[in-house]
This record gives sequence, C-alpha cells and structure tokens, in this order.
Amino acid sequence: MTKHDAARRAFLVRAAVGAGAVAGAGLVPELDAQMEHNHAENPSAAHQHPSGAEHGAFFNHDDAVTMAAFTERLMPGAPDKPGANETGVLNYIDLALAGAYSDLQDFYRRGLAQLDVYCRKTYNTSFQHLSAAQQDEVLAALEEGKATGFAWPTAQDFFNTVRTHTMEGMFADPLYGGNKDFAGWRLVGFPGAQAMFTPIDLQNQQAFTRAPMIGLQSVSSSPIRKG
Amino acid sequence: MATEKTDVVIVGVGAAGGILAAELGKAGMKVIGLERGPRLKTADFNPHDELRYFQRQELRPNAKRQPVTWRPNAKVRANPMSILNYGNQAGGGTVHYGTLSWRFHEDDFRARSHTIERYSAAAIPADSSIADWPITYADLEPYYDRAEYELGVSGKAGNLQGRKIDGGNVFEAPRRREYPLPALLADQSGVLFEAGARKLGYHPFSSPRAILSEPYHDRPGCTYCGFCQSFGCHVGAKSSILVTKLPEADATGNFKLVTGTMCYRVNTDNSGRATGVSYYGPDGSDNTIEAEIVILTPFIYDNTRLLLLSRTEKFPNGLANSSGQLGKHLMAHMMAKVFAAFDDRYVNVYMGPSAQKHTIDDFNGDNFDHSGLGFIRGSQVSIGPADLEAGPIGTAISLNPPPGTPRWGAAYRDFLAKYFARYGAIVAQTENLAYSDQTIDLDPDVRDQYGLPAPRLTYDWRRPNELARVEFLLTRMEEIGRAMGATHVWRAPLGPGAPGAHHEGGTRMGNDPKTSVVNRYGQTWDIPNLFVIGSSTFPSMSGFNPTLTIQAVSYMSANAIVNRYKKNPGPLV
Repeated sequence: MTKHDAARRAFLVRAAVGAGAVAGAGLVPELDAQMEHNHAENPSAAHQHPSGAEHGAFFNHDDAVTMAAFTERLMPGAPDKPGANETGVLNYIDLALAGAYSDLQDFYRRGLAQLDVYCRKTYNTSFQHLSAAQQDEVLAALEEGKATGFAWPTAQDFFNTVRTHTMEGMFADPLYGGNKDFAGWRLVGFPGAQAMFTPIDLQNQQAFTRAPMIGLQSVSSSPIRKG
Repeated sequence: MATEKTDVVIVGVGAAGGILAAELGKAGMKVIGLERGPRLKTADFNPHDELRYFQRQELRPNAKRQPVTWRPNAKVRANPMSILNYGNQAGGGTVHYGTLSWRFHEDDFRARSHTIERYSAAAIPADSSIADWPITYADLEPYYDRAEYELGVSGKAGNLQGRKIDGGNVFEAPRRREYPLPALLADQSGVLFEAGARKLGYHPFSSPRAILSEPYHDRPGCTYCGFCQSFGCHVGAKSSILVTKLPEADATGNFKLVTGTMCYRVNTDNSGRATGVSYYGPDGSDNTIEAEIVILTPFIYDNTRLLLLSRTEKFPNGLANSSGQLGKHLMAHMMAKVFAAFDDRYVNVYMGPSAQKHTIDDFNGDNFDHSGLGFIRGSQVSIGPADLEAGPIGTAISLNPPPGTPRWGAAYRDFLAKYFARYGAIVAQTENLAYSDQTIDLDPDVRDQYGLPAPRLTYDWRRPNELARVEFLLTRMEEIGRAMGATHVWRAPLGPGAPGAHHEGGTRMGNDPKTSVVNRYGQTWDIPNLFVIGSSTFPSMSGFNPTLTIQAVSYMSANAIVNRYKKNPGPLV
C-alpha cells in the first residue's frame, strides 16, 4: 500500500468511526478493525497528521464525518447487509465532488452548513453527535421539506441529491470509489456488466448466482448472493 | 472561417439524417453532415457502465452546456430541465435508444377523421389541434418495409396482408411480409406478462425491436446482456444508424461527416432561397457551407430553434413560418407505471433487451371502444424495468417502493435487496394529443454554450383527456399485475407535467400551406430547397415509439428528392 492510499484510507475510516461513535456502537466494526490493521501495518501513514486533522479530495474532516453518518442512515449496514459506509459511499461522493460533480461543491457546502444550523437550533448539537433515532428525525424533516432555515439548496433538494449520490456510491462500478468489492451489487444480487445471458439464463426463475461478477477493471469470483 | 460548397447539407445525423446521408450519397449527391457530438465506435461500449451512460447520460446532450427549458404554461418562467431525452452523437438517439420499432396503425395517420367517424366531433377536446397526416399508412408501408429490412428489425408479424396471426400484434396494420428477423426471446418478465395478459383475454407479443435476434448483414445477434436503453451496444447488434446507415454513407465516397459542430443559422437570399448554413466548428471557428439543398434533421427542438434564429427581413417570423405554425403542437409521451413484485420467485428483469420488452396493443390507438370513457386515443402497454433500464442505480432511483415503505433506511435497504431481481414495471406510453398552446420557442433568458437562446418548451400533459386516459390505463395495468401472479401490485407516482420521451411537433406536415410548415415530403412550403424531416413534422404521435416512422418518412423523402427533386428542383406538391 502506498503512503497516499494509506492516508486516504485513514481519512475515510476516521470519518466513518467519527460518524458511528455516537450513532451506534458497532456500526462500523469492519472499518474499526481495518483501522487497527492499518496502524499495525503502516503506523507512519496513520500518524502523519499529529493534529488529527485530515482532509479528503473535497470534504474536510467534519463534513466527512457528517456525510458518513448521513449516508449510513440512508442505507444502514447490518450483518450480511452492507450499507453506505461498508460500500464506500463517502469515498465515492468525495471523489465525485472533486471531479465530475465539481459544479455541486457549493451545493454541498451550503447544504451541510444549513444542516448544521438546523441541528444546532433543534438539538443543540451537530448532526454527527445525534443519536441514530435523532438523525433519522432530521432526515425525515429534510425529505418532507419540514426542516427550517434552508434557502438554497432547499431541504428536499439537498436530501434528494444526497440520496441519489448515495445510491450511485452503493451501486456504481467500484472504479468510481464506492461499491467496495462489489458489496452493493452483492446486496441486491446484480451480477454486474455481464456481456451475455444465455437462453437458459432467461428461463431462470431463481436468483442468478453464477460468478464472476464483472466490473470495468475487475471481476469477483466469489458468490453473487445466497440464492 | 471556412466556406465549403456541396450539393446537400444535413444538420443532425441521427435516425433521419443518417438515412438521408446514405440514400442521397448513393444517388451521387455530395453530402456534408453536421453533427453536434462525436462519432463513437462499438468498442467504446465495452464493458457497460451504468453510472456513465444511464445516470450521467453520456450519450445525451449535456443539460448545462445545451440547456432546454420547460414551463407548464405561458404564465410562469421556464427552468432548465435536468435530463435531456435525446441523442448527442453521430447516429443520434439510435445509439442509446431502446430500439422499439413500430409501424403506426392505419388510424394513427387519420386520428382526427377517424375519431369523428366512429364517435363524433364532440369527442375531440375543444382545445386539441389533433390533425390527420397528409400521408396514409399505405403510402408509408413500402418505406416501413425497407427500414425493417435495411436496418434489421426483429419481430413477429400479426397481420400479413390482412391475415391475422396469433403471437404477433394482431392490431397492427397489414404488412407485405414477415419481419426480416424472428422475435427476440422473452425474459421472465415477458413470460409473466404474456401469461397474465392472455388470462385477461389480451393479445401479448414480443415487442418488435431494432436488435438482431440472429446474425444479419455481417453483424452478430443480441447477447441479451440487458444494457440497451441509455447504452451503446457492445457487439453492434443494436441496429443503430452508427452501424447501419453511416457505413453505407461512407461507402458512397460522397459523404463527409463533421463532428463537434453547432449549426446556428440557415442562410437565405433575397429571392427566398436557402443558400446553405453557418456553423461553429469544434475549435470555435465560424464556418459556412453553401448548398443546393438544406435538410434539417436534428432533434425536434433545434428545428424550431434554427428556423427562428434564421429570421431575416424577408422572413421576419423565422424561416418557413408564413403559416404562423412554427413551434406549435408539441407532443410527448408520458409513462404511467404499475409495479408488480413477486415473493415466490425471481424475475431477473435485468436480463435481455431492457426497454418495453413485451407488449399488448389492445389499449392503443382506437383498438378498443372509447364510448363513455371520457377520452380518446390510447397507449401501448408493456413490461420492463422501472425506467427502461434495469441496473441497480436506475432501480434505486425509479423503483418507488409501495405505500408504507420509506425511500431510505433499513426498511428501504431490505425492500431493494429483496425486490431488485423480483419485480417488473408495467408501463403505459400514452398518446397525448396535440394542443396548439404546447409550444417550442426561444427562451428569453437562458442561453447555451454558444450564446444562442435555449429552446423553451411550454407543455403540460395533465389535461382532462390525458388524465382520464392515465387513470383508465393504471387500473388495467393493476389488473394485469395481479393476473401475472404478483404478490404486490402498486402504482408509481405520476410526477410533474413535463414532456417525457419521444417529442413530436413544431414543424407540422400537412396538405395546406396555411396550416402547416412542411408538405408530406418534409419540404417547407415557403422555401422549396429547405427540408425538415423527423418527428417534428408529425401531426399526431400515436402511442408507439416514433423511430421507425421517422425512418420510414426519411426513406420516403429521400426517394422524392432523388427521383423527383434532383431532376426538377422545385415544390414537390
């Protein structure tokens, strides 16, 4: 692992851990374990910011923690059911905002700022420090347009955009930074960019489970899903 | 600034322009085709990428660089639409389309007269401008046949010279011969739809599609990978203009394609004749082509926009607009949807060509008695994925969960995980009527990357006739879903009144120069060497996808230009 990769991993892991710290213990056990592993494997990478400050391609540390929590509530993980954090949704959105969606940077900055004002006004603390149930209340208020204080983007536009980008991060090809190890495709049973299905496949009334799953630059030969 | 001379300039090389380029080139005419986007290759489409092509719409115009604005009525300001439902490359929409290849019904060409004859004039909404075509099905049949055989369409005949055949579309107009290729195989959504529809007494069949079910013309058969709508075909089995007519045009030696261009004006002289076009090149250069014939075949917005932008002192209201009809009678399909999900089996709707896989025509056109229903004209009803594309991003965006299930959180995750491969969407594609206040014009505020005014659409399908039709069809589709044996059947929300897919109108064809922009050959009444060919000329739209009819009309116009206009330039009617 290069120093760069390790640092980025650390940024994402800390964001996910930060998000999960209050919202629910054990929310990101795999990432927790991974962070421990990274420390052991490459301690210099994990400690290159003694201040604890880390930065993504777009998100600063606080916004990354908020986004990790927000997207995990949209698509929560559970045992055998990978959610936003496990599939790398934060990584996807962070890279997209630094690239293909750079015209949405202000949309996210302002959306997150308005979210922070709303949470402090309503709960006296920031989104990342709310309980999972309270975070769900906030998301519902955004979705229904009931969250106050949103001018641009509107609460509903912000919610819908984050929802859409969360789905993209869950289900786009892993090349784009999410859908880690095809976990999103595995969740729903999508075999990826199969170049063909046979007449026998078309008659199948059961789950399609034949490996490999096929991506743009990678394949996975482990089972697609439990039938 | 460059100036070139040619016999024919074609603006927009898609479903219509590609056919005209090949046919006129074969007749020895020198043709230059201007195309806004790039010319892609089959190799560009392997492997498939849902984010890039479906979600980020790479084969469609960039809505920020080429904005199109919409408003529901003339009283409100128009806003840019986020998704533009047409093509942006050589081959146009045929590169990414779902390939549905229909012949319109006989009564689709005379919807107004037919309605009055069977019902009464009062059955037509007072504000509708629905009109008969200046051509009949019989006029077009030879060209439908040619399009099916030259391009490669798979299907099963349901009406061979008047003989009805079970398993094909028994409501179709008579055809001279079978399809060139057998029907595409049904996937499980088609199998379930077939059985459910038959149980209810309807007449289902595998939809005719411009996809090769077997090798044909040196191209391979379909691999049933499922990446059709929004995607280019990775084996070239989709009979797009890119792999059919463009190679033919190249082979004539008379065709030159210029990509990355934006045509911004049709030039005319004081005698009222078109002299050619001006366009911006990919390097920003300002260029002129002098041509004997100018043919406009872009997506419909740009016909109206170009003709308005080309206004002169002689043509102060835009070219070809002495009738005042330019930009009027905009039509578009809307998609009403019912979802059918199964607890006891999988459907795997992501397999096989993705769009409108299996169809019933029982509720289209005037194939059923509308007496007392409160609306005229109907809809194709078909089965497929939630948004004509079956990948997980599209499904997460478009498969609205049933009432009571949220759109996010653990319950939503479980819903999507369980039903992604266990559902089908039954979709009605409705024949919305023409209304003269549904228009295309120039947006006064929004401009594109070239500084040209954006096309502005004024349109709202939610009219009494259309709403009554949608409600009727949603009820029929719920019945079909239950007859398919689905555990759960529910309606998708209807959404706003914006135009959906398959836009028509703006340069209506007719028999009378006072009430139409072009004649039956797409020749403008006002400027005989200026043609507009494509769905912008359709006086009514039918419940069928328009592409095969665009292509048939293009063959008919090409035939008239080659065999009549070329020898004796002047009005063809």
